[in-house]
Amino acid sequence: MTALRAKAAEDFRARGVPHRRVEAWKYSDLRSAVDAGQVEAAGAAAWTVEAEGVEQIAPGEGGFAGAMGEASLAFADAGFGLRAAKAGKARVHFATPGQARVRIVVEPGAELEYIETADGGGFQNIGMDVSIGEGAVFTHVRIARAGDGVRIADVNAAVAARGTYRLHAAHFGSALSRLELKIALNGEGASAHLSGVSVLDNRHADVTTHIVHAAGGTESTQLFKHVAGGKARAVYQGKLTVAQGADGSDSRQTAKALLLDERAEADLKPELEIFADDVKCAHGAAVGDLDADSLFYLRARGIAEDEARGLLIRAFLDEAFDGVRDDLRALLWAPVEEAL
Amino acid sequence: MLEIRNLHAGVGGKEILKGLNLTVNAGEVHAIMGPNGSGKSTLSYVLAGRAGYEITAGSITYMGEDLNALSTEARAAKGVFLAMQYPVEIPGVTTLTFLKTALNAQRRARGEKEMDAMSVLKRVRGKAAELRVSEEMLKRALNVGFSGGEKKRLEILQMSLFEPRLAVLDETDSGLDIDALRLVAEGVNALRSPERAMLVITHYQRLLDYIVPDKIHVLSAGRIVKEGGKELALELEAKGYEQIVKDAA
Repeated sequence: MTALRAKAAEDFRARGVPHRRVEAWKYSDLRSAVDAGQVEAAGAAAWTVEAEGVEQIAPGEGGFAGAMGEASLAFADAGFGLRAAKAGKARVHFATPGQARVRIVVEPGAELEYIETADGGGFQNIGMDVSIGEGAVFTHVRIARAGDGVRIADVNAAVAARGTYRLHAAHFGSALSRLELKIALNGEGASAHLSGVSVLDNRHADVTTHIVHAAGGTESTQLFKHVAGGKARAVYQGKLTVAQGADGSDSRQTAKALLLDERAEADLKPELEIFADDVKCAHGAAVGDLDADSLFYLRARGIAEDEARGLLIRAFLDEAFDGVRDDLRALLWAPVEEAL
Repeated sequence: MLEIRNLHAGVGGKEILKGLNLTVNAGEVHAIMGPNGSGKSTLSYVLAGRAGYEITAGSITYMGEDLNALSTEARAAKGVFLAMQYPVEIPGVTTLTFLKTALNAQRRARGEKEMDAMSVLKRVRGKAAELRVSEEMLKRALNVGFSGGEKKRLEILQMSLFEPRLAVLDETDSGLDIDALRLVAEGVNALRSPERAMLVITHYQRLLDYIVPDKIHVLSAGRIVKEGGKELALELEAKGYEQIVKDAA
């Protein structure tokens, strides 16, 4: 084991499996679902990759966003890497328990479209390190199917000048599931655009983001929509840091949740840390039920209650995929239709 | 067509309609006039079957059927249409999709064949032109970014598309300038027919200059306190509600 991995293991062991008294995991009590022994002994996850226009590289030892990314670095003995020098496409499917490390390199000026699906039960922990070069674009599509295990994806990304990280996610929840992203906008004009939906029935889905505007003229937008039915729990935590000197940065984050059952819960927490002047930061969060006026209006036009509710739920979610390319949108929307 | 007998109804446990009687026959246009808080909107919601509005006594018979036994959507399929005072904005649903969904939902409920998108579009286009509802409006999300006049025109477009038996127009004149009012009134007048009854609910006499009713009823504190022909509107305008209500008592 290398020094870096040994250090990660040591740190993880010192803190143990994160739990609800750790602020970043307040709404996702991982310790009640797995213990440290299970994390260490989880074994290797299996996956399939179909790729074109990319070079396979070693997973290496990249960074991590949070505690479980650190665990994947420490304990995952499997992984893969993809490097795009021009225009690449990859379809990746994770369907088994276990851990893995993924390394993504998008060279300056290149583009990579990465379509990831996660499925299955048990304990799955995938740690990903992404490096986006100057003027490069990384499009990350993530579809996490409904499961009954623990599913964690931890993404650490660095974006160079004028580079873009684009995420479109559809989450359907697990006993506990979490996507944790840390994106550092390191170069002038770098941007991150994240959007996604969680459609949950009795399941849990946590989207935790931390975007660091480290350079001037950087831009980030986030829009997450959650629909929670039964005893579902939808979580969004969005931390935004604007570093000193990152003047002219612009950020917008919005998280909204529709609760379809009185037992359902949504925890939406935007958080701002601003150390620069002349920045624009807008954030908003709202939790609600379907709008009674809208429901009455549709029913008064002859649309039966179930259909009217469905129409309003779809309209609510649809906004998250505004402007997403048609074929990607269709890919994301199909499982949403199935889940509704 | 519509017979309301001794209707007591309210919302949230508060009685608002207190013994209302009203008969409207096919082919007739009736106006309900009344001051704020007299129960005008409650009457329209009770007729459309809005959740939360409860009938505590009396009856509403529509085409020989107990209206209160029908769900909101079933009433629409059976020909009850409420043009709303405040049409809601629904982001994410285009106007045309909404029209098609509603039309087909009503047709399905009546056991009629659903219409395909092209046929709906053709039908909508013809009617839209008369009401100056542009193609661009039809493509936009329902009522989102529409002006007050555009929203009301779209309500009348729906009325024309759904061809109801009983149309209730709740404060259709509110928020309209005179040109918009005239356009909306023309649309409504075009839909007058021997098979159709209309109930025009309004605070002001102005609308009734354009949609001339067969009968006017004055609503006050949840009851009809005075009835008359179209000239009653002018009397109301001259004397004001307070005096009319006092005279009637």
